[in-house]
Formats: sequence, C-alpha cells, structure tokens
Amino acid sequence: MLDSPWLGRAAILVLAVAIYAFPLIAHSDYRLYLGTQVGIYLLVAMGLNLLSGYTGQPSLCHGALLAIGAYVTAIATVDHGWSFWPAALAGMAITAGAGALIALPAFRVTAWYFALITLAFAEVVGGMLVEWGGLTHSFSGVVGIPMPSAFGRSFGAAQLFWLVATIDIACFIMMGNMMRGRFGRGFIALRDNEIAARASGISLVRLKMFAFVVSAAVTGLAGAFYAVQKTVITPDDFTADVSIFFLVVVVLGGSGRLWGAALGTVAFFVVPELLTSLQAWRLLIYGVVLLALMLFAPHGLQGAIAAGWRALRVAFGASPRPPVRPAEASSAPAVQPVQGIAVSIEGLLRRFGGVTALDRVSLAIESGSVHAIVGPNGSGKTTLLNMICGFFRPDEGSIRLDDVEVVGRSTASIARLGVGRTFQTPKLLPELSATENAMLGAFAAERASTVEVALWAPRARREHAALAAQAQHFLGFVGLGERVHEQAGELPHGQQRLAEIARALIGRPRLLLLDEPAAGLSLTELDKLGALIRSIADLGVTVVIVEHHLELVADICRHVTVLDRGTVLAEGAPDAVFADPAVIAAYMGARPLAETAP
Amino acid sequence: MDLDIIPNGLAAGSLYALIAVGFNILYRPTNVFNFAQGDLVMLGAMIGASALASGLPWLLALAAAAVFVGVIALLENAVAVAPVVRRSSVSHAWIISTLAYSLIIDNLVGHAWGPDPIRVDPPAPLSMTTFTVAGMRTSSYQIALIVGTAVMILLIERFYRTRSGKAVMAVAEDRDAALLRGIDPGRLSRWSFFLGGGFAAVAGLLASPVLYASTQLGPALLVKGFEAAAIGGVGNNRGALVAGWILGLAEALGGSVLSPGYQQASTFVLLLVILLIQPRGLFGQPEARNV
Amino acid sequence: MTALLKVESIDVGYGHVGVLEDVDLAVEQGSIVALVGSNGAGKSTLLRAISGLLRPRRGRIVFAGTDLAGAAPNRVVDAGILHVAEGRRLFRQQSVDDNLELGLYGVRVGRSDAASRYARVFELFPVLAERRRSRAGVLSGGQQQMLAIAQALMREPRLLMLDEPSLGLAPIIVDQVLEVLLRLRDGGTTILLVEQMVERALEIADYGFVLRNGRLIGQGPAAELARSDVVTSAYVGAKQQH
Repeated sequence: MLDSPWLGRAAILVLAVAIYAFPLIAHSDYRLYLGTQVGIYLLVAMGLNLLSGYTGQPSLCHGALLAIGAYVTAIATVDHGWSFWPAALAGMAITAGAGALIALPAFRVTAWYFALITLAFAEVVGGMLVEWGGLTHSFSGVVGIPMPSAFGRSFGAAQLFWLVATIDIACFIMMGNMMRGRFGRGFIALRDNEIAARASGISLVRLKMFAFVVSAAVTGLAGAFYAVQKTVITPDDFTADVSIFFLVVVVLGGSGRLWGAALGTVAFFVVPELLTSLQAWRLLIYGVVLLALMLFAPHGLQGAIAAGWRALRVAFGASPRPPVRPAEASSAPAVQPVQGIAVSIEGLLRRFGGVTALDRVSLAIESGSVHAIVGPNGSGKTTLLNMICGFFRPDEGSIRLDDVEVVGRSTASIARLGVGRTFQTPKLLPELSATENAMLGAFAAERASTVEVALWAPRARREHAALAAQAQHFLGFVGLGERVHEQAGELPHGQQRLAEIARALIGRPRLLLLDEPAAGLSLTELDKLGALIRSIADLGVTVVIVEHHLELVADICRHVTVLDRGTVLAEGAPDAVFADPAVIAAYMGARPLAETAP
Repeated sequence: MDLDIIPNGLAAGSLYALIAVGFNILYRPTNVFNFAQGDLVMLGAMIGASALASGLPWLLALAAAAVFVGVIALLENAVAVAPVVRRSSVSHAWIISTLAYSLIIDNLVGHAWGPDPIRVDPPAPLSMTTFTVAGMRTSSYQIALIVGTAVMILLIERFYRTRSGKAVMAVAEDRDAALLRGIDPGRLSRWSFFLGGGFAAVAGLLASPVLYASTQLGPALLVKGFEAAAIGGVGNNRGALVAGWILGLAEALGGSVLSPGYQQASTFVLLLVILLIQPRGLFGQPEARNV
Repeated sequence: MTALLKVESIDVGYGHVGVLEDVDLAVEQGSIVALVGSNGAGKSTLLRAISGLLRPRRGRIVFAGTDLAGAAPNRVVDAGILHVAEGRRLFRQQSVDDNLELGLYGVRVGRSDAASRYARVFELFPVLAERRRSRAGVLSGGQQQMLAIAQALMREPRLLMLDEPSLGLAPIIVDQVLEVLLRLRDGGTTILLVEQMVERALEIADYGFVLRNGRLIGQGPAAELARSDVVTSAYVGAKQQH
C-alpha cells in the first residue's frame, strides 16, 4: 500500500484543493493576507533554491532582487500608469537582467566569492533605493500600488491569493519537470562536479547563466506581487535580513530538494510567534537555526522527513526504499553503428613549471581502431587525454579530430564533436542514481526545448523515457543492469568507472577516451571489460585506452603507443611493441640496455 | 579638485586593508573565507570602546579587545568551521555556517551595546584635530593610521617568513604534503583563527576614532574588507594594502563627485570589472598546479 | 636483527570500499625493503596507512615497539617515519631553501646542527645547492624528486618511505636517486620503497613484498624474489618477459 503511486498523487490533489479552498475557509482578512504572503515568499524561495540549492551558488541578494521586481512594478503602475500585467513583466525582465549582471563574475570565481559579490550587490541596491530618489521616492517609498485587474474588474484579496497560488503551483510543477530533465542533472553537475559537466558537453557558462536568469526572473515576479499586496513599499522592506531570511528558509526546508522551498516557507509561517514576539532576536534565531542545520541536518526538513519515512517503512515491515520498477524494455534502443573519429596529433608540448609532461608528441590514431597508450606512471598519458578533450591547452602543437583542429576549443565543444571520456578517479554525481548519471551524458544530444521540458510536453516526456531506457540499456551493456537505481556514490570504485563508460556511451561518442578502466578490477571483471571494449569498438567507435594492464591491452588493441617521460618510445602492434627490449626496459625498470648489454 | 581626498582616502583604505588582512590570515591555512569577519571587527571596536570608557589605557584596551575577539574566533573555528570542513573539505557549507555565526554575533552584540555609536578618542598624543600640510587637511591620527597600517602589514608579512609562517603557506598549498612533514593543520588553523580574530579587533578599535564604534558596522565592513581582499588577490597581504588604498582613494574621489549610494555602486562595478579581467585580483598569484 | 616496523594484519579502505585486506609486513632495521605490485594493488594505500593519512580498520602498525595504527600524521613523523609521497609533493610556491627548512618543522635543532643537516643533503644532492633560491615549482622533475627526498632527510628519519621515486624520471636520474638510497641505507637509515620499476627496486633492495589486489601474495629476499614467478604473476607487464 505504501508503494502505490496513487498515494502520492492523491496527497498532492488534496493539497491543491486545500490551497484553492483556503480563501473560502480563512474567515479572516489577516489569514488571507498571510496566505498570500506565504505564496509570494515561496516563489522567492523556489528561485533561490534553484540557484543556491541545485546549482550550488549561494546568493545573499534575493531580497534585493525582490526589491527590484517590486519597485519596477510599483513605479510603472503608480508613476507611469501602466496596468499590472506589463509592469510585472517589466519587473521580471529587469530583475532577470540584474541576475545576468551578477552572474558575470560567477563564471570566473568560486562559489564563496560569488556569495560575497551578491552581498555587495544587495548593499548597492539598498543604497540606490534611497539615493535614486527621483525614481524611487527615497525613504517615503512608493505609495498606493493598485491591485491587478482583469476584464475591467480589480482583484480582491481572494483573487490575488488564487493568482499567486496558481503561479506557485505552476512554478513548482515546472521546477519539478526541469529538475527531472536534463537541466536538473546539469545544475547538480555544476554544483557537485564541473569536470563531469564539461566532459558531458555542458557549456558551463550558458547553463550557469540560465540558472541565474531564471532564478532572478522568478524572484522579480514575486516582487511584483509583493508590491501589490503591500500597496506601499519602502527601502525598509528590503534590508539585508530579507536575503538572509530566504537563505534560512531554503536551508531549513532542504537545499537542493524539490519540496525544500515549500517546507521551509511553511515552517516559518506555522511558527508565527517567531516573527513577532521574538522579533528582536530574529537574527540570533536565524543564526542558530542555520548553524544547527549545517551541523546536524544539511538536507533540511525534507532530508529529515525522508529519513523518517524510511524508518517508518522499516517499522511497517517494508524495505527501506520503494521497490524498483523494471525499466520499460520496449523502447530499448538498437545500438547503432557510428563512423569513428580519426585522431592526428602533431608536436604536442606541455610543461608544468619545470617539468615537461609531453615533449613534442606526434601520434596518429585510425578511425574505428582500439588504440592503447601505455607507459610508466608519469609518462604523460593522462595529460595527453586531457589535451585531446580540451581540459588543458598544449603549449605547442596541434590536435586534429577528423581534420578539425581542436586546440583552443572548449571542452564542451569538443565533447559535442562526439568525444566521450572516462576518468581515472571516477567523476560521478554521488547523490544521483546510476541511471541519472548515465543520462547526464546525453545532455548535449537532447532536443526538447526549455519550454517543452518545463511543461513536460509530449516530446520532453518521450525523450525522457527513451533516455532513461537508453541509460538503463547502456548500464546493462557495461554490466550494471542490477544497480541502475542505486546512488552512484554507493557503487564500488570499479563499478563507478563502468557507470562512467555508460555515461560516455549514451552521448553516442565517435571517439571514446578511457583512462585506466581496469584499475582495481578483479580478474572476471577484467574479462568482461575486455569484451565490453571490443563490443564498443564493433560499433565503429574509435577507442583510445590508457591502461597499465598490458594483457588486456594486448588482447583488445590493434595498435599501441608507448610513452616514456613525455615522448613516444615505441609504437605498433602489441606483440611487436611488447617484445621491444627498450619498452621492457622502460616499463619493467630494467637497467637501460646500454648498461646491461654484454 | 580637493586634495583632502588623499589623506581621507588613504586612511579609509588602510582600514579596508586591515580587514582584508584579517581575512587572509584565516584564509591561508584553512581556505575558508570568514563571513563573520565584519562582525569580529565590529565586536573588537565595541569591546575596545567600552574598555576605554571604563578608563583602561589604549594599549590595554587594544590587548583586551584582541584577546577577547581572538577567543570568539577560536570558538567559531570549533563550532562553525572545523566540524563542517571535516565532514567534506570540498563543499562550501562553511559559507553558510560562518554566515550563521556572524548573525549570532551581530544580534548578541546589538543587544549588549544598543544601536548608538560610541565616540572613541585617539590615543594621546595623537588627535583628530586637523591641520594643513601641502594643501591637504589631515590629522595626526590619520597619518599615524596610514603609516601604522603599512608597518603592521609588512610585519605580518615578515611573520610569514618564519618557519611557522612557511608552514602556514605549506598547508595552504598542499595539506597532505604538509601532514607528511609533521605539520598539524588543525593546530595552525586554530592559531590562525585566534590571530585573525585578534587582528580583526585591532582593526576595529583603530577604525573607531574615524568611524565611531557602532554595532551597525558589521556587514558593511565585511563587504569592504572582501572588496579589498578580492582586488588585492585573496591571501596576498601586500596586495590587500595596495587594493585597500586604491579602494579608499576611489571612494574618496567618487564621494567628492557622487553621493554615497552611487559611490557604493561605482565601487561594485569596479570590483566586477577587475574580477572579470583578473579573477585572482590585481596581485594574486596564478595557481601553478601540476595535474 | 629485529624488525623496526611491523605491520600486523591490517585492513584499510576508503568509504565503503576495502583496499587492503589482512596485510602483514616487516621491515628490518637498516635494510631496504621493496614493496611491489601492479597499479591499484594497494601499495600507496599501505604507505598512507603507515603515515597516518588513513586510519586502518583493523590491525596494528608497530614501530620501534609502539603501536602507531590510527595515530595522527605528526605523531608518526615525530616517531621517525618520513613518507616521500608519490608525485613529488613539494611546496611549489616556496624556494628550495624554504622547502628544506619545512623539513625541520617542529624539530628543535641548534644552528650548527641545522647547518650540518643542510650540508649533508647538499652533499647527497649537489644540484640542489646550486638552486637554493629557486622556487620548487620551476625545478626539473628529477630535481623536484631529489628535493622531496632531501626535505624528508632533514629530519634524519629512522624509516624513510618512498612512493614511486622513479616516476617520470630519466634512467640516469633514477640511477642517481637509487644510488642515494643505497648510501642512506649504508648510513643506517631503514628504507621502505614502493616502486613500479620492479627490477630496479629488487636490485637495490634486501627484501621484498609483493601485493596484488590488496593482498600480500609473496615475500622473500629480493634476489630470490626477482627470479621467482610471484612477481611476474603480480605484475602483468611481466608477461612478455620470456
């Protein structure tokens, strides 16, 4: 019974009915006013949760963004006679613009810089509200902001509540859809592992900018409602505390969790005494709550409820997690053959300080071949892979993928050429399931537009289902069929590496770079890996594998390049190369030939 | 143009630099940028001002404030930084936990002292009485503040040439390698919090004759100190000094043309532009990492 | 002779994943002991456990009669175990001199004692004496490796643990480094050497241990080990050695 999907849907339906019925049963203007206020704050909290929770960019200026939305709406309606609707749109647009402005440095600095930049921005906005008196009426604020009207009739308090509630619900649903789709995975990748994001073809700049703009626009819209609800706004409504209040709300509810914003907002209004009788100690309470949450419940109320729910399930004799529904096998994709990329590298040079990691390496890799790069530790193998997929720029030299010069291109654009990559230390998103991790790899290949994803339109739904099926298919293909729903962080190391191969495969690579896929695998797993790589190669994919396990290399590769201290020591067919005394010497650390020769 | 902006700007800039150096002291061994630093500075000002009001001599008041705030900062490390960083060294949970600590200090100090600023006289024989030198109106305290700041920062940089100082830099660069050489990063972090807190208090009390000691100053000082630290390159104390002066002069210049609200805005734009061009600040060292 | 270091049936892991299982190892006073095995066998993990960077889940690490399992790294260093980590982990922004000085962190040495320690490492690695003021980051790979060893030697360790000192170095430099290890052993320093260059390692070592997939699969006097199949079986690269 606990696992029926209808239980959840019924609960949501009851919740929605209760929300819409609220004005009919509130029996007090004050309660209705509070209800609307909850709705407005919830919008801000959802916007902030997107940016700070999911994307991991803590903002201390959402109070200021709320102010911008509110002031634009108020000034447009009161001083310029606009109607509410275009004024609110303008408020959203201008707030979104402000979001884009503060996003600019976030591309180049880390999250904590960004937090302080937002703090400085909030101060600037606070100052301007007072200083720019010609526009904002300074301390006296904007007075007499009219209610929205439609069809010639002005809204009452109940209509405003319904409007705000509708937008909240719509926003909540769209947010849920976005987070289910590629954006959610992309945002979490920005937060938890930028390297995974880049290797999956995600343009960090575009996705971050998107998160900022959406977050700011939602907050600006909340500002428009804030203005009409209060009818008077002054700079005092938007002190620095307001921004911190929203941060507390999100962290309390569960930062980076869909219900977090809602739970946090409601929790704050369920304990209204907190906001009145203890007004003077508000900041202290915020501080203590935040600190306690960071120490004891980093996932907030939603995390605590989820933990409680699991405990309850156990108490009822169910397994702690809902049973896994089998993947819909019907849409399992036929794995299609591709045309592999040919790689041609010339004169590649890279220095790190006084150490030359690659010393004018030239190398050609045939389309569709399995090519191994071997050599002792520190010989430059991983550096070479990092150059091919654009993580490092060479100091000199050229790398051509099918005649396209890629030196100087971004990682994302190289990934979009059809280059997939795995890492020596697996870079997965630990909180997401293996399936979701694999789906991240298709980020650049997804076609449904932002709007389609937000509305969960048929195309987005189809694409999502197909992708999930593909992800599970590829996870099965690499031998993780049993563990598709497990959190990636819970998988053993070797299996994480296999999950990375699935993530790379789902992007339909034409060139696959594998960095020590065999490290730490058992002998049976090794055999499976060999078979897996062969079957990938059978699709036509060019596979470049950096590997210490020479048996495996000899087994699956047609061609081997031996690197030693940044130069090519030997290349050719495995049998010939591994029989080469110079290679044995370098690899096994025998004395150099000159010294051992009789 | 009014030449007064030069001593005024340099004096204000010196204060920003002092706050920025406080940040850097904490940042070097921990990679934590303390969001409570502004409130530590403010707390130092309040304690120092009260100590002076109770008749303590300047130096003793300064020492009392430094020790008290140093202990408060140690406590911050114990409750808001060390446990959070231990759980996950990569996450930025410390942003929120140090911010939380700052809210707690801010609120408690606000209740203890109330909103009224306290006037603090400079230590004799220095005074705020102005006189004119080379066409600039200044005071002996202003001059002492500017010179004293530069001297203090150079002295701190000398400390980083000692073995303990080098150990702090070593921890900043490679924590594991430092561990393997017998360096205890936890101990250095505790010392750095204590000293960084003490330094914050010194900055706060030195600022008081100019700004008055006020419980309202925390957040503003946090932002100013951050701007100086970011422009100078986080972790770079000499950079912080120069950046503080640049900021102070730019503000004084802006203040003679613009009203304070716009002045904040123009500083903010300056910061954005610098970070866009030079994300590590004007004097920050590029990170030479061997991957 | 007695063992200076005795590792007794330790298990070590990261998170959920076990890396070492039930590993025993002993290092005789005044010897060079080589620890060999393929990548991922757990050699570095063992060194990290000994030096306190990782806490073993089970087992004892007895050094000169004291159990150091789970001790903080600075206690291990104070006991006299110095670990030169893989990948030349120096303080790259600081000068050669500063790096050497950091090797003395927490040690009370008189001026003349310190001077003689500097003189000793410069005598072992003359090239460092020529670059005292250079930033460590701009040294060549070989010089960095020498500096890393020299830094550890400043503390006059009883046991020196080296992780892949040959990494990325030219054969002639590897020769120099290994030569220094022999001199150190002759001077009384005990050495535990992790090395991928099996042959070279066993050539200079007195005794060897072979790890495979986190378990000890063989041990013996280095010369015997070099001829035995156990190394080849642990080291897949050896398959072609016929």
